[in-house]
Amino acid sequence: MMFLNNTYNEFIKIAAKPRSYIGLIALTVLISVIILAMKADGSTYISFVTASFEQTLSFSGDIMNGNLIAFIILQMLIVHIPLLVALVTGDLISGEANMGTIRMLASKPISRTQIVLSKFLAGALYTLLLTVWLGFLSLYVARWIFGTGDLMVLTSDGLIIHPESDVEWRYLYGFLTAYLSLLTVSTLSICLSAFAENSIGPIVSTMAIIIFFTIIGTMDVTVFDAIKPYLFTTHMAAWRSYFEDPVPWDAINESIRILIYHNVILIGIALYQFNRKDITS
Amino acid sequence: MRQLFLILSLVFVSSISLAQQSKTLNAVVVKLNSVKDYTVNARVVAAVPMIKIKEVNAVLYFKQKDKFKIDAKGIAVLPKQGFIELNKFLTNTSKYMAIESTGKVIGGVSTLMVTVIPTDESTDIILAKLWIDSKKSLILASQLTTKSSGVMTTNYTYTDQAQFGLPSTIVFEIDVKRFKMPKSVAANIHQTDKQDDSKKDKQGKITVYLTGYKVNKGISDNIFK
Repeated sequence: MMFLNNTYNEFIKIAAKPRSYIGLIALTVLISVIILAMKADGSTYISFVTASFEQTLSFSGDIMNGNLIAFIILQMLIVHIPLLVALVTGDLISGEANMGTIRMLASKPISRTQIVLSKFLAGALYTLLLTVWLGFLSLYVARWIFGTGDLMVLTSDGLIIHPESDVEWRYLYGFLTAYLSLLTVSTLSICLSAFAENSIGPIVSTMAIIIFFTIIGTMDVTVFDAIKPYLFTTHMAAWRSYFEDPVPWDAINESIRILIYHNVILIGIALYQFNRKDITS
Repeated sequence: MRQLFLILSLVFVSSISLAQQSKTLNAVVVKLNSVKDYTVNARVVAAVPMIKIKEVNAVLYFKQKDKFKIDAKGIAVLPKQGFIELNKFLTNTSKYMAIESTGKVIGGVSTLMVTVIPTDESTDIILAKLWIDSKKSLILASQLTTKSSGVMTTNYTYTDQAQFGLPSTIVFEIDVKRFKMPKSVAANIHQTDKQDDSKKDKQGKITVYLTGYKVNKGISDNIFK
């Protein structure tokens, strides 16, 4: 019960910070801009995708629909959302140290392990809120504006056109997997937060790690081939795999496993660090 | 002497083409012109390399002279040319010359091959080869070479609307060697092997099954807007 109360308190703390709303506002503005741009000149964007086919083929039907807009938005934003997550979660432990409230927190009748876990849980709730908001704006608002229809997806193997009836579950699983990816970012930043005494360090470090791993992952150099499969950034795009045909379930399961391993290990490191952290000085 | 031979050759070819147009191709054109408008349900099955798409149902609308609309439930992949372009091209008999020769056997029917060469350079069609069932005046196969889309082979089968020259199945074979995927496309994270484009299929096939023709029943122009 104490653990749940503490988690609730942690979430209230997140809700009380103005910076927590930056993510929601940024998502709203960005998605609105993308939707407006697509409404104004979406056909040009589509012709870029279909240009190589249109010399011989024509695509009839409503290509520019809410399902495609949601896919475009997700593809554009999923890379940048980790910053919005880390902005809040990177502050959860180090912020307490910075403000000097960490000693008061540790004096509560709750173990340090539970303190850290409740912060993880509050961070996970905030990340869930961001993901749900992203899903609501990108999918439902886009469908409301553009209507629904078949989904055209461009992959490295070519074009895949999913019937409208076959799209809903792909988005559901896609958002769940995207949430797991963002949760890993949240866990990483909280873990780094356990080592820091100020807010900026964990936030910047989280982004630096993501950028570093992403660059390694995209470099076509054989030296990195051995470590690429174990970098969490490699698996952050796993949500796209639900839109392939056939769906590579084994590869998705592998991605989910690796992301879960990262979460468990990072929580473990944070617990170890916070439990031996000197908060008296 | 060479000039005389050239002139005689041209006269000979011209006389052949005019004679052939008046017989086989003209009979086909007359049949095609008898269709003022039609509506038909279409089931489109596309097997095109680099495109994965399930069957799509659509309704096709046509009205003379060149109004055509595809109303698809969902996204349908169709050849850029092929539904009305050939008919539109053939009906203007003054803009091409035709040469007949012996054709191949298609579905047990001995065909007559008509090579159609446009005399108007502005047309997109460079060359058309038609395999015609001369007894029924039906085009059983065609091969169009166009400036914009390369070579496209089409096979036609006919059932209940043969008297109008309207097919029940159209099979488009498309040259897909021009397809190039943008490099900027997000990489497939699960793809480790480099793909060899040369090993990929080069022929795409789009089959359109046409049922429930409503011919010459009248169609409002508003449908095409």
